[in-house]
Amino acid sequence: MNNKNVIIYDVSLRDGSHAISHQLSKEQISTYAIAAEKAKLYAIEVGHGNGIGASSILVGQSKLTDETMLRTAKENLENTKLGIHIIPGFATINKDLKMAIDVGVDIFRVASHCTEADTTERHIGFARENGKDVYGLLMSSSMASPEVLLEEAIKMQTYGAEAIVILDSAGSFLPDDVEKRITLLSQNLNVPVGFHGHNNLSLSVYNSIVALQSGAKIIDASIKGFGAGAGNTQLEVLVGLLQKYGYESGIDLYKILDLADIADKLLITEPITISPLSVIGGLANVFSAFSKHIKRISEKYNVDPRDVFFELGKEKVIGGQEDKIIDIAIKLSKRKGN
Amino acid sequence: MQKLKACILGTGNIGTDLLIKIMRSPYIECSMFVGRNLKSKGMSKALSLGITLSDKGIDAIIENPNCCDLVFDATSAASHFEHAPILEKLNKITIDMTPAKIGILTIPAVNLEEAINGNNVNMITCGGQASIPIAYAISQVTQNIQYIEVVSTIASKSAGHGTRINIDEYIETTEKAISKFTKCDNVKSIINLNPAIPSIDMNTTIFVKVDNPNLDSIKKSIDAMYTKIKRYVSGYEIILGPVYDNGVIIVTVRVQGNGDYLPKYAGNLDIINCAAIAVAEEFAKNKIKD
Amino acid sequence: MYFLNIDLDEIKKIEKLKNSRILITGGTGFFAKWLLNAVILLNDKYKFHIKLYLLARKNNDYIEKTISLRSDIEFIKNDIRNVDELPSDIEYIIHAAATPDNREHMSNPIDTMDIISHGTKQILDASLRLNNIKKILLLSSGQVYGTIDGNHIKEKSVGLLDTNSIKSIYPEAKRYSETLALAYKSLYKLPIIQVRPFAFIGPLMEMNKPWAINNFIASAIKFKKIKILGNGEPIRSYMYPSDMVWWLLNMLLHSKDGAIYNLGSDNGISLKDLAEKIKIKLGDDIKIEIQNMNNDKSIFLPDISFVKDELDLDIKVDIDRALDYTIKWAKDNI
Repeated sequence: MNNKNVIIYDVSLRDGSHAISHQLSKEQISTYAIAAEKAKLYAIEVGHGNGIGASSILVGQSKLTDETMLRTAKENLENTKLGIHIIPGFATINKDLKMAIDVGVDIFRVASHCTEADTTERHIGFARENGKDVYGLLMSSSMASPEVLLEEAIKMQTYGAEAIVILDSAGSFLPDDVEKRITLLSQNLNVPVGFHGHNNLSLSVYNSIVALQSGAKIIDASIKGFGAGAGNTQLEVLVGLLQKYGYESGIDLYKILDLADIADKLLITEPITISPLSVIGGLANVFSAFSKHIKRISEKYNVDPRDVFFELGKEKVIGGQEDKIIDIAIKLSKRKGN
Repeated sequence: MQKLKACILGTGNIGTDLLIKIMRSPYIECSMFVGRNLKSKGMSKALSLGITLSDKGIDAIIENPNCCDLVFDATSAASHFEHAPILEKLNKITIDMTPAKIGILTIPAVNLEEAINGNNVNMITCGGQASIPIAYAISQVTQNIQYIEVVSTIASKSAGHGTRINIDEYIETTEKAISKFTKCDNVKSIINLNPAIPSIDMNTTIFVKVDNPNLDSIKKSIDAMYTKIKRYVSGYEIILGPVYDNGVIIVTVRVQGNGDYLPKYAGNLDIINCAAIAVAEEFAKNKIKD
Repeated sequence: MYFLNIDLDEIKKIEKLKNSRILITGGTGFFAKWLLNAVILLNDKYKFHIKLYLLARKNNDYIEKTISLRSDIEFIKNDIRNVDELPSDIEYIIHAAATPDNREHMSNPIDTMDIISHGTKQILDASLRLNNIKKILLLSSGQVYGTIDGNHIKEKSVGLLDTNSIKSIYPEAKRYSETLALAYKSLYKLPIIQVRPFAFIGPLMEMNKPWAINNFIASAIKFKKIKILGNGEPIRSYMYPSDMVWWLLNMLLHSKDGAIYNLGSDNGISLKDLAEKIKIKLGDDIKIEIQNMNNDKSIFLPDISFVKDELDLDIKVDIDRALDYTIKWAKDNI
């Protein structure tokens, strides 16, 4: 792989799932997959926002089963690979990974909170033993220092991960934060490093460029930024920008812009903007996907959602702790004297 | 009153914590603390408490079968598979603290009678112990439950290598047990590790999807259950609910450990030990009756 | 079994092992399995009358099956850290108790270091009370050489271990154990030798272990493809276990106390060439994918001139034959 080649990994139909409360339909998946193939995307990721096996009351129930979503995508893909997101604690080998192997998923991305990599050993091993491409993902990586991230990344690499991607789940990274982490990991791992940005502070595209310049080889992005909270790194913008920086992603520029138009009509129900709550999320360092839940619950308990965000940030709440939101809303409500 | 003689197999943190709890029990006494290494920390603690020690492992019980009537096996799943048939032949009551789980899935507040009619019981999982009493209480007064979901968050520090490598088994066992006790087959268990410092207490939320629940009778049922649980898990608190939100009954419980030998934040480990003691005491009370 | 090159000269060289009592710790691992088979061969075919003790935390099916109904082999069930007293007739110890599985080092780092350091201490303590002890062979690791020019590393070489990295967990524990052994030798004059194993390939090795060569073989057989993450240029060597076994048995008998020996092949091969060989041997349409994800061109080879000169040992099984036998076995066992 020469120095200026980049893998753009499209998370639109997974991270984007958060934006539509996981109500992806078969038509949306198949239409998108066909257009993604035309645009020569390396891979698309499909599924519930929290990965396979995550459909639940806690984080939202999907319209379709994981298996249906994945088969629909697979049927419409040829050269573009199909990837999935896997969080041990939500997904199990028996119920979820075996199904994914059966469907023919190509890339297994096993994720943990950025300090709990050793929960991924068995799932990474299982995917490797079944001959699949496996990445290790470190979520909410703004909650750990670069040195701790490196340690956790080394663990995942040892378990068999063939790439390590660090996720800015809260959209709170400044370019400097990205540079430090990506540089340290790139210099000390044997496997390629990737970056997954969120746009709460309007920095996702620039952070992605900084990541590339610091040695990253994989960048996660989403069409029109379709994703949780303020959305992800905007895929079609990034592809255009990469040309100016001299990076080669293999993606057809016109066709990806066409895909953006298609996505506009097909997927986007609300404009993907940085709402005031998203700004707060980025500042409070709180997992982006919480936004919808926080808004709804704050309204119900008549508290300021911004206060809820900061409180969640203070308690260092992580993805999967959505039940804490009600807890805190009630606490704040009592404080207000409701 | 004559106490039931219990032997603890396995002198790690779990076994040592059990020992300290047993010393407070009016119904059981620890007649022997058995491991493989007399120099381990647990052994030193037991020695300081004047307990009889042995480093012969299961052989200590084989060679001296009258030493106890009940055995807590706090070794490992692999070892338990070896110990179980031996203990059965020796007519011992076995409380399996390992992930082996070959015996009766037991929740003291729910199926104590079933448990004491068997001779090998296990405590399911920490999430199971925390959630099943509540899920059961709800199921007793509610018809047509569509779905039950249980989410547990535990402190990273309280989750050792054994927990981390067995997350799938944890999920599968918890789901199996929830189904057993609530008769609902549509069940999901989720577990999260939270690295925040200071370490958080164990937090478990129970979601029950059902139409038209009678919140009043549910609340009464849960309150009654809470009283039962408090008798054996002093650190158990209901911190939210029951509330009915979006078609779902939600209850959140928090378990803080007693801090006997395990740290206070390890409520997840403590609740299992408390449940084990409760079952053992029931065996004891039953034997006395005979 | 898969023993190769057993000629009568080889047998004569280890004649002094007749009627001896040998203990192997790590009694269910790869080294133990091969040593066990060697002892069975020596006893059954050449009437060596060796009494063999295997010590491990728990038994496994392969060992149980192999030693059942044999009175010349005894399994001692114990955690190496709890070893107190050993059968008093033991004359030779090969201490192999530790796991080289680096996934275990990452997930269970404290136990990993404890088993190696504490376990070594227990064995050395216990051997102080063995009146007939003739040699204690401690298996260390080629990784103790740390950062060093890896092109034919001599035993006298000293490298650095990065104290800031969790990758040092295993090699540091091994290094500590080596120095601990020196302490016992210095104070009690115990007959200790240290052996630093490099890399091996052969039947009875678990193909799902996270090493390149295992991955290549398993993946080629299962999926008809071999994925090379880097550029394929790193150079490694692989010793066939029959060479390993004969070296170890010779070391027990002919080494000088306090000696340190490399245990491995000095015949380097690049990962690219290794993949090519596996492809040819499987005779199938196997796809080799060189991903060029990193620029690692490292060499990691032992220099074995010391072993050659001092012990008159050599590499008898080349990589081609090693691969032939391994692939044959792997096909039946994956």
